[in-house]
Amino acid sequence: MHKGDKPLKEKYRTRHRTRDIDQVHEDMKSPESLLKQAVDLDKPGSAQFYCLTCAKYFINETALSDHFKSKPHKRRLKALETEPYTQDEADRAAGMGSYVAPKKLTVVSQDKLAKDGDEYNS
Amino acid sequence: MRVEKCFFCSSPIYPGHGIHFVRNDSKIFRFCRSKCHKAFQKKRNPRKARWTKAFRKAAGKELTVDPSLEFEKRRNEPVKYNKELWQTTIKAMKRIEEIKVRRQNFFIANRLKKGKELRKAADLREVKDNIHLIKSPAAGLKQRRQLVEVIQEQDVQAMESN
Repeated sequence: MHKGDKPLKEKYRTRHRTRDIDQVHEDMKSPESLLKQAVDLDKPGSAQFYCLTCAKYFINETALSDHFKSKPHKRRLKALETEPYTQDEADRAAGMGSYVAPKKLTVVSQDKLAKDGDEYNS
Repeated sequence: MRVEKCFFCSSPIYPGHGIHFVRNDSKIFRFCRSKCHKAFQKKRNPRKARWTKAFRKAAGKELTVDPSLEFEKRRNEPVKYNKELWQTTIKAMKRIEEIKVRRQNFFIANRLKKGKELRKAADLREVKDNIHLIKSPAAGLKQRRQLVEVIQEQDVQAMESN
């Protein structure tokens, strides 16, 4: 990163940190608390339109449904299909044990499940 | 003091090196240098960055499954000092390392053999397809014509004698 690149620098600051992919995996185990949040006026859209996989708040229903059709959301779903990377995998790669291939998971977008009326399970 | 492994590139982190990052869910990430820390901040996937050990293992570039990899472990068991045990352990570590390195080198040498075969096949194909560049199609045409004439004469003679 160039020293004078302020916007990029701001983006990677710890206080601007967004949720990591392994945290999203954790979120998907108990989605109710995030999908049905209490009204919080400090959050975009009062925290009523949240995308679980992308860990992002939207301002209204249209913005959220448009997001479900977007590339970043689909890319995120694809990325979530493999088990998250852990320190254990790093240790194994360093020679502390044999390699274990990451498992494949099935991830369904929350808009697909909302239509069926099912519970959100990953 | 433990020599930990870098979260991103899996290299050892010796005391006084690298940086720890504690996420707000109190999970600790250790990095060996700023290169790895920056890559983590940018949310790069260590499985996709080609220079990490995780990539090399996942892509089958290095020896992945072997009993020699099972010795180094986090055991979390305090052992009472014993001179004999200490000495044999050091001896075993050296021997295991020797075997491990040999196996890893053998694996890579074996893996590269495939490329050698492919290169040879490609070279042969290239020569076959472009043989006209080395040897003219007209080369030896005169001799071939003379040979045809001689054969024809022989045939005529053979027919006459019959």
